[in-house]
Amino acid sequence: MLKQRKPTPKTKEEYDNVPLEPVDLDENGKVYKPFKYHGNKYLGYWYQYKEYIIPLIFTFLSFWTRLYLISYSKIVVWDEAHFGKFASHYLKREFYFDVHPPLGKMIVGLSGYLAGYNGSFDFGSGSAYPEHVNYSFMRVFLATFGAWMVPLAYFTAIELDFSQQSVFLVTLMVLFDSMLLFFTFTTVFFLTKFHNQRNNPFSLEWVVWLLLTGLSIGCVTSVKWVGLFVTALVGLYTIEDLWEKFGDLSMPKTVYIQHWIARIGGLIILPLLVYMLSFAIHFAILHNSGPGDAQMSSLFQAGLHGNDFSENPFELAYGSKFTLKNMGYGGGLLHSHIQTYPSGSEQQQITCYHHKDSNNDWVVHKTREAPAGFGNETGEPEIEFVKDGDTIRLIHANTGRNLHSHQVKAPVTKSQWEVSCYGNLTIGDKNDYWEIEILDDMFKKTERIHSLTSTLRFKHHVLGCYLRAGNAVLPQWGFKQIEVTCDKRDNPKDTYTHWNIEHHWNDKLPPGGRSNYKSRFLHDFWHLNVAMYTSNNALVPDADKEDILASTPLQWPIVEVGLRMCSWADDVVKFYLLGNPFVWWSGTASLAIFIFVLAYYIVRRQRQYNDFSPAQWDYFLYVGKICGVGWLLHYIPFCIMGRVTYLHHYFPALYFSILMAGFVLDHFTSTCNSKIKNVIFGICYLIITGIFLYFKDISFGMDYPSKEYKDRKWLSTWNIVD
Amino acid sequence: MTFRNRQEKQSGSLSGKKQEYDFDDKKKEFIVQFSDKKDDTLSLIVLAVLTFSAFVTRFWMINHPDQVVFDEVHFGKFASFYLRREYYFDVHPPLAKLMLAGMGWLLGYDGHFEFDNIGDDYITNDVPYVGFRALPATLGALFVPLTYMIMKESGYPIVTSLFAAGLVLFDNALICQTRLILLDSMLVFFMLCTFYCYIRFYKLRLREFSNEWYIWLVACGVSLGLTLSVKMVGLFTVATIGYAVLNDLWNLLDINRGLSMTQFKKHFFVRALGLIVVPLSIYLFWFYIHFLVLSKSGAGDGFMSPAFQETLEGNVMSLQSYVFLHSHLARYPLRYDDGRISSAGQQVTGYPFDDINNHWRIIPAEGFFDTSRPENDTIYHGDHILLEHINTKTILLTHDVASPTMPTNQEFTTIAANDTSRYNETVFQILINDGDEDTVWKTKSSHFRLIHYDTNVALWTHKKNLPEWDTENLEPKPLKHIPFYKKFFELQRLMISHNSGLTKPHPYSSGPINWPFLVRGISFWTLGDKKQQIYLLGNPFTWWISIGSIAVLVGVVAADLISRRRGVQPIPDPVRNRLYNSAGFFSMAWLFHYVPFFLMGRSLFLHHYLPGLICSYLVAAAVFQFMFISSINYPVSVGLPYKSTSKIVLKAKVDYIAKICCTVLLSIAGIMFIYFAPMTYGTPGLEPDDISHRQWLETWDFHFQTKKG
Repeated sequence: MLKQRKPTPKTKEEYDNVPLEPVDLDENGKVYKPFKYHGNKYLGYWYQYKEYIIPLIFTFLSFWTRLYLISYSKIVVWDEAHFGKFASHYLKREFYFDVHPPLGKMIVGLSGYLAGYNGSFDFGSGSAYPEHVNYSFMRVFLATFGAWMVPLAYFTAIELDFSQQSVFLVTLMVLFDSMLLFFTFTTVFFLTKFHNQRNNPFSLEWVVWLLLTGLSIGCVTSVKWVGLFVTALVGLYTIEDLWEKFGDLSMPKTVYIQHWIARIGGLIILPLLVYMLSFAIHFAILHNSGPGDAQMSSLFQAGLHGNDFSENPFELAYGSKFTLKNMGYGGGLLHSHIQTYPSGSEQQQITCYHHKDSNNDWVVHKTREAPAGFGNETGEPEIEFVKDGDTIRLIHANTGRNLHSHQVKAPVTKSQWEVSCYGNLTIGDKNDYWEIEILDDMFKKTERIHSLTSTLRFKHHVLGCYLRAGNAVLPQWGFKQIEVTCDKRDNPKDTYTHWNIEHHWNDKLPPGGRSNYKSRFLHDFWHLNVAMYTSNNALVPDADKEDILASTPLQWPIVEVGLRMCSWADDVVKFYLLGNPFVWWSGTASLAIFIFVLAYYIVRRQRQYNDFSPAQWDYFLYVGKICGVGWLLHYIPFCIMGRVTYLHHYFPALYFSILMAGFVLDHFTSTCNSKIKNVIFGICYLIITGIFLYFKDISFGMDYPSKEYKDRKWLSTWNIVD
Repeated sequence: MTFRNRQEKQSGSLSGKKQEYDFDDKKKEFIVQFSDKKDDTLSLIVLAVLTFSAFVTRFWMINHPDQVVFDEVHFGKFASFYLRREYYFDVHPPLAKLMLAGMGWLLGYDGHFEFDNIGDDYITNDVPYVGFRALPATLGALFVPLTYMIMKESGYPIVTSLFAAGLVLFDNALICQTRLILLDSMLVFFMLCTFYCYIRFYKLRLREFSNEWYIWLVACGVSLGLTLSVKMVGLFTVATIGYAVLNDLWNLLDINRGLSMTQFKKHFFVRALGLIVVPLSIYLFWFYIHFLVLSKSGAGDGFMSPAFQETLEGNVMSLQSYVFLHSHLARYPLRYDDGRISSAGQQVTGYPFDDINNHWRIIPAEGFFDTSRPENDTIYHGDHILLEHINTKTILLTHDVASPTMPTNQEFTTIAANDTSRYNETVFQILINDGDEDTVWKTKSSHFRLIHYDTNVALWTHKKNLPEWDTENLEPKPLKHIPFYKKFFELQRLMISHNSGLTKPHPYSSGPINWPFLVRGISFWTLGDKKQQIYLLGNPFTWWISIGSIAVLVGVVAADLISRRRGVQPIPDPVRNRLYNSAGFFSMAWLFHYVPFFLMGRSLFLHHYLPGLICSYLVAAAVFQFMFISSINYPVSVGLPYKSTSKIVLKAKVDYIAKICCTVLLSIAGIMFIYFAPMTYGTPGLEPDDISHRQWLETWDFHFQTKKG
């Protein structure tokens, strides 16, 4: 296989001078195709306009496959339960919390808005849609995004310089594989567009495609963080590009710096702005209080309608009842309940908990030794405000016990002291005393303690340690709530020791009013993102529980599993998530084949056999990198991630494997004559279409018992039939 | 980047002393004498001093403590098992433990001691523990000369090689870990041997296919096999060598090297033979010995398949599965964490160990059995039976109550034998895999399913292993023999699955990211009344030097790449090549022995970093050379000036600055070593204040320090 040798060019000039096949280029640098007149009028039109007609046909087919029978199932299918619910929240403008960024759900919300839906349906999984929900319109609206992926794939393949047949192949594969992701597609498309403008830097087109790439990146990451993978692809492409340019000694330094600036602006700042904008809109729409409040800072919550924080008295006085919110990311409210610690002091538990109930209420009192005042319950009417540095007691409103700490090791974080609830109004010791410190105030730092805006720390009067709620979770006896400890370290920067007053009730004081409580967007934005990150990481599979719906990344490329998207009863319209086996298998195979072909050519190059001109070799590597690296970036992270993975996580990677399939087949048939090539590709088209039609019912909906699909169960692992 | 094309170009800026060389008529090449006699003698003296010091530091107070320390619990026990020839199961390959057992055999120890708990006394139990510890300590002491020789063979001057060896000499963690009955000493020793042999082999690249060349190649393969036979971590060494070899082959493939494809293939296959086939055979060999020695039934029986157990002398027959179907008096909690309710019946579990609670009796199910059948008839496919738990006199039952862990599956429990009200729920049908009506239910060899009559579900355990069966009144069977390869693969599979299953949190486990920075150590052993403790902690100075030099190397390489890209060549070619090839090889070795731990799910400990640590010391020395000497010995490969186009011989110029730096750094390392030595040797005990004084990082959780706050 390594026999024939062509004359070996030694230098770069010689490489460049290797004669290529003669090609005519037109004034735009494109391959010149002389216009062919045809005798037949219709054929003439066809030849003249086929560049437009073909994508139109594909787009039409695409819309047909996406929209056909879309309202057939009248029940809430699969994750519609989640995303429908989020749409309802947008329409009711209630704040909710989810692990994904908001753009995608806002689009779902928009679809609901356009459909005239009022947000009153709760989208219970498997329940039937009521009359007033125009679910077909919502589905159609979202399916449109899916439909546009087909023309996008078509034009991407064209931009990647695939042959006509291969372009068809890629398009067909995307067409008949029903689920892929719109913004990933646009990003790749714009990137290839941008690449093809590489020889005209700073031209208008170059700038437009660069900006569109950036815009796409922003959108894709605003839908799901999986978008970071395609961002990484663009990033790697850019780094390599800049590294190439860095070695170009003929390029003036100012031009090089301009290249940097253009990319920083287009590919970093722009996407970031888009991402932040999506959150800004998210916050703007959701101005009502809702189920997600507790994840956010107290100050943010104060700004939501329907939240009574703005009724809070502004300054804290002795005798006030209030709740304390931990200011660490994902921090909850200081909580106590009658259950006791099973070990250690065996006194009443203190935890941190997001759920709002009366067990979070605390009353501030003076120390027992303090001169009689309001705090000592003598009924003196005079209001005495709590000041920075005061020594106080906190009494749990429901059980009447004091917040207490002592030299007993905390149950989980052994290096810190346990915090418990002990005694009552009169019984107790100095271990019930805490010194209150104001660290900072978002409003205006004064001697007095402000609701919501003051950042507080509580220092234990005897031990000198600080009240802290890290992210350690208590075992079952503590209901998996967050452990509260007393930390011996004095670290003012540790946000887990920071607390603020959230709810505040005191009949004797006037309400504070909304104007005192304004939160900053950047702070909320960052806070929400960290909270999303933390909850995302918490989605780890439970080793003891087998989740029939989950699958592992190794099963995806070989289509080992499908996914039942709804109840499998005989009388329900059933959907089964399963790839077009031919498309998926050939995509995976082509990735493997590409690796071998690449290794083969690299070895041959080391022996100086020149199969390619430098330009051809660059092209070969470029497409390989976009498809191969793109696939790896969208696949490998799922293998490493600890979280639960589902079949649909593979879709973005699938797109890259489809492009690779087109490229590989194109590569192997490039030397065939056009008839053979047409035959080979024709067979592929037929198989793809045939298999799609063969399996069409699983995506359009099966309204008959699944048993009838028995013979389509090609692999024993497909649970399409019981 | 390592082992890139070694066509060093001569750079004018580098002055080197040209040396005389003679032409050897026989070998048709120049004989180069690039090191003079004086250097050789000095080198030998340094080597001898280093070796002596290494033995002193490793053997000092080796008889202390006279108690079982940390993982001696495991590895001492395994040595005992070998000597008693009782089968045991462990996640590590057998070589190191066989070596320990061999040591015990030489010492006349009979394996009577169980090494059950940390702190058990050796003297009263009459265990020759000093002899045991001498083996790892000897190998551990040999790290130092080996490191020196690796550096010397890689072409570094004496002072650089001394620096590397000194770092190893004064490392508290290496000393602490290698003077106890543990496996890491053997592992790192063989790893260093592998590196040494590979470097010797590579240096002969211009005398390819010569006798010497073959000898070092095979030696490298053998050491590689031995490394692999100690711990699976040896795979990282394989990866390192594999990477270097691929790089080398890649350069040989270059047409400019002038090799024909036939010659290249020969290169390829000889390496494949020496570095794949040889190590694999050695790996297999030790397992063969392992099975040969462990001929009796022992603590590890329960891990193995029934077929395997039948090959062990004296194995017990009882009802068993891959996990045994087990029941005990404990009951299910009435309410689970997620709020579901259970029957609060007696627990039925799978339990991997032999136990009297695993015994069940078969009772024919009345109303299903043909009464005409004789009383002691064998059981056939499809028969209906009840299962009585012998110890608690209860009957196995399942019902439509969700199981504890899987809400979609049914719970198993047992009920009193005289309770007939739920008779139907206790009847099971036996379906033998691949069976028909005439198939007899055979002990151990039949895989079968138990189908519940009432609800038509199968008895199932998590790992999808169905119970295997045995009854009590079986006659002892003759021992069976199964082929070695079957035993081997069974054991490999179990080792891998159990290794990844070692996720139980341990108070002293730590994540890989903490290791190079020495964030935390491991408490090995304490003796309260004398305030003595052994705490595995590296020498902070040398550890931080090594990770620092890796950072420096990364910086230098990045700066070099960037400036080259702009056409500036800041480093002379010979120095650059040496830096990339040699330091590159060492840092790849470090990466391969460190990064994979990040991908492992099992619980990890500081001592897993020790192989990587030694590699990082080699990097540190190479960086030292680059910073303070910046000229090199050239050529390193044998016979190079003749073959290469430039017949130049260079010798590194070591000035007094390098010598002073080396002395100062090693002195600090030495002082630091002595300062932390009480924690390493477990003696003398320190006062609480002294211990607190040594607690530089808050995360070093020593025992007995002064109480704070």
